[in-house]
Amino acid sequence: MKRRALGFLISLWAVLTLNFLLPRLLPGDPLAALLDPSSSAYVFNSATRASLAEYYGLDRPLVQQYADYLAGTLRGDLGQSIRLNRPVGELLRAHLPWTLLLTLTALSAASLLGVLGGAEAAWRRGSATDKALVVSSVIASNAPVFFTGMILLIVFGARLDWLPLAGGRTAFARYGTPWEAARDYAAHLALPAVTLTLALVGSKFLLVRNSMIGVLGEDYMLVARAKGLSTGRLKRHHALRNALIPFVHHLAAHAGFALTGALFIETLFNYPGMGRLVFESVVARDYPVIQGVFVVVSALVLGANLLADWLSYRLDPRRREAL
Amino acid sequence: MSAPLLNVHDLRVIFAPAAPGQPPARVVDGVSFALDAGDSLAIVGETGSGKTTLARALLGLHPAGSVSGSVQLGGQELVGLDEGRWRPLRWQRIALAVQNAGTAFDPVYRMGEQIGEPLREHRGLSSAEATARAAALVAQVGLTERHLRAYPHQLSGGEKQRLMLAMALSCDPELLIVDEPTSGQDMLARAQVIALLRAICAQRGTALLLISHDLAAVSQLAGQVAVLYAGKLAEVGATRDVLSAPRHPYTWGLLSAYPDMSTARDLSGIRGQMPDPTHPPTGCRFHPRCTQAVDECRRVEPPLQLHNGRRLACHLGGLRALLRAEGLRKTFTTNGHLGPAQNVEAVRNVSLEVYEGEVVGLVGETGSGKSTLGRLLVGLLDPESGSIVFEGNPLALNNGSASRHLRRRIQLIPQDPFDSVSPYLTVCQIVREPLDVQRAGTPAERRERVREALAAVGLPTLDAFLARHPHELSGGQLQRVVIARALVLEPKLIVADEPVSMLDASEQAKLITLLEDIQNERGMGLLLISHDLALVRKVADRILVMRDGQIIEGGPSSQVLAQPQHEYTRALLRAAPSFDWYTTSSGGNRP
Ligand SMILES: Nc1ncnc2c1ncn2[C@@H]1O[C@H](COP(=O)(O)OP(=O)(O)OP(=O)(O)O)[C@@H](O)[C@H]1O
Ligand code: SF4
Ligand SMILES: [Mg+2]
Repeated sequence: MKRRALGFLISLWAVLTLNFLLPRLLPGDPLAALLDPSSSAYVFNSATRASLAEYYGLDRPLVQQYADYLAGTLRGDLGQSIRLNRPVGELLRAHLPWTLLLTLTALSAASLLGVLGGAEAAWRRGSATDKALVVSSVIASNAPVFFTGMILLIVFGARLDWLPLAGGRTAFARYGTPWEAARDYAAHLALPAVTLTLALVGSKFLLVRNSMIGVLGEDYMLVARAKGLSTGRLKRHHALRNALIPFVHHLAAHAGFALTGALFIETLFNYPGMGRLVFESVVARDYPVIQGVFVVVSALVLGANLLADWLSYRLDPRRREAL
Repeated sequence: MSAPLLNVHDLRVIFAPAAPGQPPARVVDGVSFALDAGDSLAIVGETGSGKTTLARALLGLHPAGSVSGSVQLGGQELVGLDEGRWRPLRWQRIALAVQNAGTAFDPVYRMGEQIGEPLREHRGLSSAEATARAAALVAQVGLTERHLRAYPHQLSGGEKQRLMLAMALSCDPELLIVDEPTSGQDMLARAQVIALLRAICAQRGTALLLISHDLAAVSQLAGQVAVLYAGKLAEVGATRDVLSAPRHPYTWGLLSAYPDMSTARDLSGIRGQMPDPTHPPTGCRFHPRCTQAVDECRRVEPPLQLHNGRRLACHLGGLRALLRAEGLRKTFTTNGHLGPAQNVEAVRNVSLEVYEGEVVGLVGETGSGKSTLGRLLVGLLDPESGSIVFEGNPLALNNGSASRHLRRRIQLIPQDPFDSVSPYLTVCQIVREPLDVQRAGTPAERRERVREALAAVGLPTLDAFLARHPHELSGGQLQRVVIARALVLEPKLIVADEPVSMLDASEQAKLITLLEDIQNERGMGLLLISHDLALVRKVADRILVMRDGQIIEGGPSSQVLAQPQHEYTRALLRAAPSFDWYTTSSGGNRP
């Protein structure tokens, strides 16, 4: 366990460093707009320009900036947005819950569908159901989110007008009961979540189906059948239980993909998560926000991996010794 | 008479082809046998003969539609049952301890849970009750609570094998099928498993169907044995009878290929390979590998039927005696210039048999009449009385032409190669001579056969070598040339009289191995005459001991060597060269 903790710390440091370096490798810098005479944001006063740079610490050597950044991050202080002039922490607190809601909803739905569908398809391998599921999951996981999202928007939002087109909740709404609130949130969540679920479910389905097929060919499954166990017990207690072990690892590896997918979908549906924040910050080279967002995303991914490790430790007795 | 517990009739397991257009795999193809309650039957056969497939078919574990025929358990037909009907039968009435216990347990559950699982499922026991039962079972197979709490990966292969047995016994089945319980285990663990199985069957009265290629284990565990070859039964009978006197050529080959602490002979496999189940041979499935196959074997499938008290599937009624000599007698008269004429009874009333593909060693001291007997058998001498039947045809005592034709199928490798070949002939001429005498083929064909024969004994086939004379060859080379000459007519029986006695030890070993290989590959009979018991024991399936013109003892090599009946044999055994360490009278170590 010690080794694992150390590994976690090392990855955390690597991630933090990358977070610091990557935005700075982008061409241009956050003050470019303020320094560009053709820009509307141009600041005429050169003293003001210098004090601005000083204020944001941009005039200092890179090493110094790096040290400040590390120290700040570890203290929980993610700095100040240059563009919006608000603390990054505050921005994240406002947007992160929406992103988490979207990601976790889609991830859970995709996992549930993938596991159930994959298990059933493997059990009926070669049947029409199996083939149909395989084909549709391949299509779903290869279609660009942009495309599926658009189609869903047009069909369910515009044409049928069943669901709201954008946003995370109805603006200025006052809810009489929590139930009403939940309905409103869910209606706004539905389309982005379905889009993300569709993007995620295919690979989960295929993975569960494959590992389940592998498990079904194992000797212990033959023995379990020879023991005269019921189909349900064979399928769930023995086959699926073993097939879930590789799935857990996949889930962790896919957490990052799910989060970035969510960010993208949020811009598409104008969902109030971190997606728009990231986009606008990148355009403006707003280093502290970009860094802050990626620190959070990285921490989440690392956390997901730790969780997966723990889960697979729970699921697979063979790993308990290895730890 | 009550019906047997298990009655299998014309069982077939045929797997659909992997790709369309290919033939299906007929892995088990018409197998019938019966097993009474409390009895034990072993199914033996080479790897790939279909044993495991057969075992699984008895539990309905193959995909629907691949099994046909009939399997009756206590009168109930099992073939064609749906999964729902199979469930209560499995483990409660028939349990299977699978071949590979190492991978037979679900890696994520503890052993106790897995052993108790059928009890909870079938008997509705609570978790605690099932665990208690599992503990009792585990104790019965000689393991402890610790093993019950362990996960599969924490246990050794032998422990898993026993836990597999414990699990198979959990619902107290009427029929226990055990697939290769002893494979891949060390001798000690193997002995324990055998003892355990014996105890279990004796205590519980469980009928045992043992699947194995471990013939020693079979001999200790099963009353009956059925030999499976390429999905068909070749021979069925009481284990003691079948294993001590195999009658089907395949059983015979299986036994001689089997390493056994009590056999002395070097191993020789059965020539050729098991056919693929997608392309079974026509007629008798064993015919491509059988040394005595006749035309009928290629065309007609032999049914499993009684031949002289044994159930065999063979057109010829099993292994044939290649050569059967009865009451042979030969007396030499010396016309003594020094004294009265004396009669030497060199061979006195000797009877012997050599079976197809068998190596018989004939041992005895100098002057015991071995060579005379050999010369009688190949027709170089005529016996005064007695008969010789070869491949079912009597050899006329005074060489008729039919008998000459037969005789070319018996060849002699003489004791002294320099004695038996003319020094003026070339290698080519020496080897070709029998062909010339028999006027077999064109000159070109003869030359080709000479080369083949030389190649078979590991000699060069270059023209330069063919043109050499005996004095230009080493002793070992010349002996090989003589063997090549014996082989060139493709004999069915070779009588080799002290074939290596003129050679040094290393050359002896090489030549004996060569002879054995040739014999095994061509499926000939070989009568090996020698005074050297140490040499004979390496290759002979059976040993005959000769003294004063009579055969005084004979039997399987292992038996003759391990329990010699005759004092003379014991003396021979003592005289056989072995390292007997020199010790001082005090017996102590050197200072
Ligand atoms: N499902 C299947 N489909 C096609 N062929 C199969 C199938 N199962 C087994 N076979 C073939 O059937 C033959 C017999 O296999 P089986 O496992 O019964 O042999 P075995 O006698 O138990 O051998 P071993 O001694 O190695 O355990 C093999 O050629 C194998 O490849
Ligand atoms: S003699 Fe013929 S029938 Fe008998 S085992 Fe040989 S090939 Fe088969
Ligand atoms: Mg097998």
